[in-house]
Amino acid sequence: MKLLLLGNEALAYGALSEGVAVATAYPGTPSTEILETLEEFRDRFTHWAANEKTAFEIAYGAALAGARALTAMKHVGLNVAADPLHSSAYTGVEGGFLIISADDPSMHSSQNEQDTRWYGLQSFVPVLEPSDPRNAYDLAKAGMRLSEELRHPVLIRSVTRVSHVRAPVDIDPPSPPKWGSFNKDIKRFTLVPAHARERRKALLEKWREVEKISSKFIKVEGSGEKSVVTAGVAYNYVKEAVKKLNIEIKIVKLEMSVPVPPTIRDIVGERAVVVEEGEPVVEIQLRSLGIYTYGKLDGYFPRYGELDTTKTAVGLAKAFGIEYRSKVFRPEAEPPPRRPSLCPGCPHMGTFYALRIAAVGKEVVWSGDIGCYSLGVNTNQQDIITHMGSSIGLGMGVALSDKKLVVATVGDSTFFHASLPQLVDVATRSIPLLIVVMDNSYTAMTGGQPSPSRKIPIEKITEAFGITTYVIDPIDIKKSIYTLKKAIEEVKNNKPIVVVSKRPCVLMAVRKARKSGVHWPRYRVDPDLCIKCGICFNIGCSAIFKQDDGKAVVDTSLCTGCGVCSEVCPRGAFKYEGDRSAWTWLRT
Amino acid sequence: MDVVTNIVIVGVGGQGVLTLAKWIGEAALVEGFDVRIAEVHGMSQRGGSVEVHVRYGSEIYSPIVEEGDADVVIALEALEALRGLRYVKHDGVLVINRRLIPLPNVRLSLDEVIKTIEKSGARYLVIPAFEIALKLGSPIYENSVTLGFVCALLGLPMPPGLDDKNQTAFRTGVSIYNSSAFY
Repeated sequence: MKLLLLGNEALAYGALSEGVAVATAYPGTPSTEILETLEEFRDRFTHWAANEKTAFEIAYGAALAGARALTAMKHVGLNVAADPLHSSAYTGVEGGFLIISADDPSMHSSQNEQDTRWYGLQSFVPVLEPSDPRNAYDLAKAGMRLSEELRHPVLIRSVTRVSHVRAPVDIDPPSPPKWGSFNKDIKRFTLVPAHARERRKALLEKWREVEKISSKFIKVEGSGEKSVVTAGVAYNYVKEAVKKLNIEIKIVKLEMSVPVPPTIRDIVGERAVVVEEGEPVVEIQLRSLGIYTYGKLDGYFPRYGELDTTKTAVGLAKAFGIEYRSKVFRPEAEPPPRRPSLCPGCPHMGTFYALRIAAVGKEVVWSGDIGCYSLGVNTNQQDIITHMGSSIGLGMGVALSDKKLVVATVGDSTFFHASLPQLVDVATRSIPLLIVVMDNSYTAMTGGQPSPSRKIPIEKITEAFGITTYVIDPIDIKKSIYTLKKAIEEVKNNKPIVVVSKRPCVLMAVRKARKSGVHWPRYRVDPDLCIKCGICFNIGCSAIFKQDDGKAVVDTSLCTGCGVCSEVCPRGAFKYEGDRSAWTWLRT
Repeated sequence: MDVVTNIVIVGVGGQGVLTLAKWIGEAALVEGFDVRIAEVHGMSQRGGSVEVHVRYGSEIYSPIVEEGDADVVIALEALEALRGLRYVKHDGVLVINRRLIPLPNVRLSLDEVIKTIEKSGARYLVIPAFEIALKLGSPIYENSVTLGFVCALLGLPMPPGLDDKNQTAFRTGVSIYNSSAFY
């Protein structure tokens, strides 16, 4: 069956055809669709875990018990799961265990460029690197089989241009899930120092075995005295660039890019050009094997951002000493970038607006976090965003060092992912922070995976920690401002306060309303009532525009009828059409 | 045969750019072509500029269209068309949906945008996909109207799996293509 599949879907189907029984993930671009695809298959266990470490542990445990297991995450997620990753190489596994980590070079939707393959070198876990969806399907299958054969975990490194590329892929039907049975093996699974020392030796031996196997994952095309060593998505750019430059070379594709086997010397000889996406991970391994390389280390290819055919052709030409100039046609005028913004009706818009008003006159440090509410950066309400959990984590440090009011804004999914241990520290030391949990019931930025807050009310957790907690509805602007002002006063008296701002993601709400035939209201501006005061523009709603005469106008094709504009307008110029009660219904 | 068709689709998050790309890819797949679609998800979908690349032909490697290499650039929004311009090949064409979603601090009208494009020398076609979509009941059909137009332009069939409304929109798009004398 030939389907036009995303790389992520292909990875999932590959694992399915090898009988994956347990699959876990935490959503993160560009990895999310792997578990989304697997979720449809109800005869196996799939789960959106609280974070990548939990996801990893569930799958790792299942593989220890002999089941075939998979865990998927984005590159930075693997940092969260790094601890069990390293142990998994020491214990090995019984069932096939596939770890998929998707890198995001060029940072389309990430806070850093990070190359997963370093983790392979560091933890002694082999890394397979697919070049396109078809190859992703094949390597997911091969990886699952190899892992079970070796009784060792296998990493698959994807990137945005594999995970989020669609291509025709022939797929086999899913195989029945392979469950396991746990057999005790204390010397292997119990990493107390005496056992761990033995495991370390076994691991180094295992690595030599893996190096031998890695030779079988080398694909050689073409002939010629000169060699280009490539891996993953970069292979495609090499193929296109070679056509453009019209050169005769040997293309050596490493489908297992960690470890690079010593036998590569027999194929490439003393010198090789290296084209790879991300860091010079293959290049450094080649150099350590004594091969002279032309790659990222000496600037033949950029070490920043994604590769493409042009960058590859320019680098190859330079390395081979041939003339190549790319022709780029520039338009005379280009509009400024259209920045991502909160959706019309987004509950975060109301929360941010109410926070701005409640904090007027106060010096505030906005300690931000990762999620849709990172877009609070558009209204200068995210002074720090570094990683999942930075809001409360770094906020504590700022609050201890500075007298300014620290407002930590965190989403519900991030709250469960990273903030529960932080609350322990906030509570035990009573660190004065205003923690605003923007609870929209979903992991919204990645497409709306259900969040734990639907089952575990956040206010119950924070109250159990002994932190005074208020709940607000962010489209009820006046009440929200009142509550937030009160909360700010209490923080000034040196104690932490939590405000949970609750309302579901508007994209999800609108989708649900559409399915149920519920019509939501839309607002229009009565131009006779509008006095051009501009207050409504401060909401930051992307459905409200300023006309040439200074008056406000609503794009009704974008409006979802949240009514925050009518709450803030001093003249009641915003009038709704349709059923306002739909928004009470949309609350659930 | 070594002919590759390169398409870049630009628009604003929420306009159905990804769906349009997938439909074109499926239409090309029906014709037996190899296909690559390079999507971008996540942060860039939240009302920001969205850019998706579609390539089809007998054998495709790179999923990305190089600047100056697109046979067709489809702009679901006029300001984004200015951004998509750099991809248009010398003998390529820019298809623009007659819709402008304003940007703060940009005071260009739709006509001014089109004049700018005219001045660049690129070949372009303006289609009323948004207007027709509204007549069909919702702006969500602007991508299926555009799909009809572009499939007619490229000689691709209607992709499988469109629902009734989208099929109607598709046919309207095809008829706009057929009823206009561009060349």
